[in-house]
Amino acid sequence: MFTMMSDIDRMFGAMDLLRNKMDRIFDDFDRSYDYEPGLIFRSGSPRTNLYEDGDRFEIRAEVPGIAKDDLNVNIQGNYLEISGSRTSDTPDGYKVHRTERGADTFSRSFTLPDDVNAEKVEAKLKDGILYLTIPKSEATKPKQITIG
Amino acid sequence: MSERKDIANVEEKNIKKTRDLRSAVPAVDIYENEDEIVLYADMPGVVKEDVSVHIDNGTLSLSGVRRIEKTGVAKWEEFGDVEYVRNFSVPQTIEAPRVEAELRDGVLKLHLPKSEAAKPKRIEINAA
Repeated sequence: MFTMMSDIDRMFGAMDLLRNKMDRIFDDFDRSYDYEPGLIFRSGSPRTNLYEDGDRFEIRAEVPGIAKDDLNVNIQGNYLEISGSRTSDTPDGYKVHRTERGADTFSRSFTLPDDVNAEKVEAKLKDGILYLTIPKSEATKPKQITIG
Repeated sequence: MSERKDIANVEEKNIKKTRDLRSAVPAVDIYENEDEIVLYADMPGVVKEDVSVHIDNGTLSLSGVRRIEKTGVAKWEEFGDVEYVRNFSVPQTIEAPRVEAELRDGVLKLHLPKSEAAKPKRIEINAA
C-alpha cells in the first residue's frame, strides 16, 4: 500500500515539473514579443508612466535621441502636452540597410487627475527619458484632518 | 512526501528570479559606407555601465538593462524595467578590436570598421 502511494506521489511530482516547464516556455514566448521594435516613435506617441506621490505628479516619457531643444512641454490648467520632433541622424553618404527608429514628430497629451500648479513644474531630460515633476495646486494637496 | 515538495518549490523560486526581467527588442538603424558599418539602437534609460556589446565569430550581440526608479503610486505604467537584447550577423571582415561604441541620450551608436582587405579597391587598367 505504501509503496503504491510513493509511486503515485512520484508520478504527480513529475507531472508538476512538466507543467512548470510548460508554463515557463510560454513565459519566454510572451517575453520577447512584449515590445516591438520601433514602436516608440512609429506610432507618434512615446510611452509614458504617471506616478502620484502625495503632493505632486511624476511623469516619465521615453524619448530617446531627442535633444532638449527639440522637445516641448506645455501645460494649460491641468492639461499637459509633450511634443517634439526627432531630427534624422542619418550620416551623409551612407547606404541605408535598415531604418526602424523613425524620425518624426511625436506628441502626447494628458488631462491630469487633479489641478496642478503650472508655475512650479520641473523637467529634466536624462539618458533619453524625460522626467517631469508637477506639484499639485494647494487646494488639491492631501491634508491631514484633525479630529476635534 | 513533503520533502519532495520542498525541493520542487525551491527550484521554482530560483529560476523565477533570474527570469524576472522582461526582454525587449530595440529599434535599430543600420547604415554602411566603404569604411565602416554604423548601427544606432534606441535604448532609452540605459546607462553606460549596464550596456554590453560583444562580437564573436560573426555575431554581434547587444544587451542593455534599464531599471527605472519609481516614486509614489503608479497611475499607469507603459514602460518598465527591461533588458534590450538584439543579435546580428556581421560580416567576418569587421575588425572587432577597432569597434567604437557611444551611448548618449538613450541611443547606442556603434561604429564597426571594415578591415582594409574588405574595402573596395579600384583596379587600374593599363594600356596594352
